[in-house]
Amino acid sequence: MTTIRIRMLLLNLCSYIVLIIASLFVLIPSLWMASTALKRSEDVMSTPLKWIPDTVSFNSFIRIWKEYPFAEYFANSVFIVFTATVISLLFSALAGYGTSRFNFRGKGTFLTFLLMTQMFPSIMLLIPFYKVLKSFGLIDTHLGLILVYISFTIPFCTWMMMGYFQSIPKELDKAAMIDGCSRLRTFVQIILPLSLPGLSATAIYAFLVGWNEYMFAFILTTSESMKTIPVGIAQLNGFYKIEWNDMMAASIVSSLPLIVLFLFLQKYFISSLTAGAVK
Amino acid sequence: MKELSGKTHISGYLFVLPSIVTLMLLVTYPLLYGMYISFFNTNLLNQWDFVGFSHYGDIFGNLEFLQRIFVTLKFTVLTVGGHFVIGLGLAILLNRKLPGQTLFRAILILPWLLPEVVVGLLWKWLLNPMYGLTNHYLFKFNLISAPVSWLSNVDVAFWAVVVVCIWKGFPMLMLMVLAGLQTISEDLYEAAKIDGCTGVQSFRFITLPGLLPVLLVSLILDTVWWFKHFTVVWLLTQGGPANETNIVSIDIYKSAFEFFEFGKAAAMAVIVLFVCTLIGYVYRRMLNHDND
Repeated sequence: MTTIRIRMLLLNLCSYIVLIIASLFVLIPSLWMASTALKRSEDVMSTPLKWIPDTVSFNSFIRIWKEYPFAEYFANSVFIVFTATVISLLFSALAGYGTSRFNFRGKGTFLTFLLMTQMFPSIMLLIPFYKVLKSFGLIDTHLGLILVYISFTIPFCTWMMMGYFQSIPKELDKAAMIDGCSRLRTFVQIILPLSLPGLSATAIYAFLVGWNEYMFAFILTTSESMKTIPVGIAQLNGFYKIEWNDMMAASIVSSLPLIVLFLFLQKYFISSLTAGAVK
Repeated sequence: MKELSGKTHISGYLFVLPSIVTLMLLVTYPLLYGMYISFFNTNLLNQWDFVGFSHYGDIFGNLEFLQRIFVTLKFTVLTVGGHFVIGLGLAILLNRKLPGQTLFRAILILPWLLPEVVVGLLWKWLLNPMYGLTNHYLFKFNLISAPVSWLSNVDVAFWAVVVVCIWKGFPMLMLMVLAGLQTISEDLYEAAKIDGCTGVQSFRFITLPGLLPVLLVSLILDTVWWFKHFTVVWLLTQGGPANETNIVSIDIYKSAFEFFEFGKAAAMAVIVLFVCTLIGYVYRRMLNHDND
């Protein structure tokens, strides 16, 4: 009995050591980002390196709003990503409900097509999108990017929603319809409120995709007033002198919405993601 | 009764219609249009010279693009391999329900929550030859004697990029595997224990088969995602030094938007599409085979 306990203890110890090393590998870069952001410009490149600067300064966090058009980038990102998320959620909830409740000709093809779109390299769409948006005068507009982002998110969101709706018993629909509800009303008033966890997971996914996206936003926007956050931050990298503290402050601010969102909804998110992926 | 089922058919279509129309316009059409562009020498405005398959001929007649594909494959295999080893290992540890595992889980997910641009810039700063943290510690522990310029040195740039991409992507695998592990019933392990299985044996005969569907789906998605990856590598090296990290998406981007050879770039994208489809097909065959 004691040898088993010693073996368990050793095993736990080893697990902790591995977990701690892995966590350091993640935390050190992240904390260095925070440390740099809190430094004064003259201290950023001082040697020896200091984890805690002699003078902690929040100037970077103020400067990004005052001296760069960061507020504008932020507003653009919020508007584009929010609109794209809402549209994508609406369409994919409808399609997810349709595929989970009805059998119709071409359903299998539709579902395979959704999966296939995950295989398409997005770079494949870059050149045609550029040309098509250009012909419609949608380069450098919010609408252009919204269209791009819903095309990215609808397929996977539909899978996620379908997985979630399948977990809601069909008897509920039947009961509502016997009570005289129409299909649409059953969906909106009975099933949707029950799907809140699934909807929020899907919304996070769509938000994450849009908030992160760089390549399309980089190519499809040209004027300063249309740029999204990733494009804006990456641009700080191109200046003659890189202000690392400002860039790190901007990085932290742009990551916060995702981290906060995820912390609140992670339980739903993980189970829906795997449900969508595995089924 | 028949009437009702007839009605449901139509209702089904109505629910799916908005998505289908959107995807037809925003995915299918651009995809076909991209293939169309690949047959032209074009500036996308007034010059549209039909050249048939000659872009494809050029691409395959010239070793450069094949080299890029090779670099991309090497990059993808190493990155995805890293995700799997680290993600699977950590997921198994996190599944052991040790005290404090929630904290570890929260920390280890972090790279996945950072936008790709942030990851690219952060690591560019960490790998800075003069003021970067990496060189600072390597110096301190006497592992190097002169500063290494990680991202512009031909010998190490590729590996530096791979490490960063592993850092960014392993949490996704870890989450998927963790969720997969939690679907395997405890009873199976109990039964195995009673039958006298060792830990290794229960891993081999219960954990692995139970995880197989999750592992294969993650493998497909992760491979395709990283095969077509752009942002992190672009921000770190822009494909340099000496094309060491010039993966296909960067090459396509440069051909189109730096050299304005849209037709040729579109042709390369079509080839990438085929490679990705092939990867998906091969994995799917594996998946179906193992389900039998």
